[in-house]
Amino acid sequence: MATDFQRYDDVAIGDIMPPDPIRFEAKAEVVDAFLKATGNDDPRYRDGDAVRRVPSMLASFYLIDLLNARRSPPGGIHAKQAVRFHRSIAIGETLHLQACIVEKYTRKERPYVVAEFEARADDGALVASGRITSIWGKDA
Amino acid sequence: MSADFVPRTPGDLPAQFAIGAELPVLRRLVTQPMIDAYGHASGDLNPIHMDPDYSRTGPFGRTIAHGLMTLAFVAQMLNEWTDGHFDESGEIDIAFVGPVYTGDELTITGVVETVDFSDDGAVARVKLICKAGDRSILAGAAIQPISPIRKA
Repeated sequence: MATDFQRYDDVAIGDIMPPDPIRFEAKAEVVDAFLKATGNDDPRYRDGDAVRRVPSMLASFYLIDLLNARRSPPGGIHAKQAVRFHRSIAIGETLHLQACIVEKYTRKERPYVVAEFEARADDGALVASGRITSIWGKDA
Repeated sequence: MSADFVPRTPGDLPAQFAIGAELPVLRRLVTQPMIDAYGHASGDLNPIHMDPDYSRTGPFGRTIAHGLMTLAFVAQMLNEWTDGHFDESGEIDIAFVGPVYTGDELTITGVVETVDFSDDGAVARVKLICKAGDRSILAGAAIQPISPIRKA
């Protein structure tokens, strides 16, 4: 079966990944699964407020969607991560995610790709932004 | 009467933001069921994390935890330190410097290295300390604007 991985040489600075933003909804069940998997029993995310708050590092879930959107071959390594939160989000909010390749370099014979990402709310407001540095998977 | 108060000098800072202050310590024992739960919840089913048989022949010889799961532990600790303000305005800049294996006991903490003051208030920079036993697994910093303090 043919795979649809992207070769390192075909990755270019300025590439937008994916071409159309990914939608990520902070559903209650997704947040519950995140809290359970990370052993987080902070009442801040469970109390009876009218608007239930979402842990910011739910970003660790949508960053995976962005990583997958780059279509790196298997064997890649997530080397560095920077993320800045601009405001908290609430259960039920939808985020729109996109990344742009800003740098490529080779160090110790390893091919690196650096992408900057943004997560925006429905109204376009910036919720989170940051930088993902990866070692690209080996081309077939 | 109380009022919001913006810290402008080191003397204005609450103790947990003072230079040299140690952050809370979060400990987590990493197990394969924990990794599996994170993988299924996040959708990252890479066999290097999820499949012990596959991983036995890989570069680490066994499964490793998702780096982003470790980052979630860091955020948890930072929210404890800031009473939830990290979710609203925090920042992390890290490198994954070592693998996390099943059976590792992680210790996640940090220390306030600097506090910068401006007309807008103060920003603390924290050196993160993240280890599995004696091994460093993650290196970098957190940056946290210090919110106005409510004083009587």
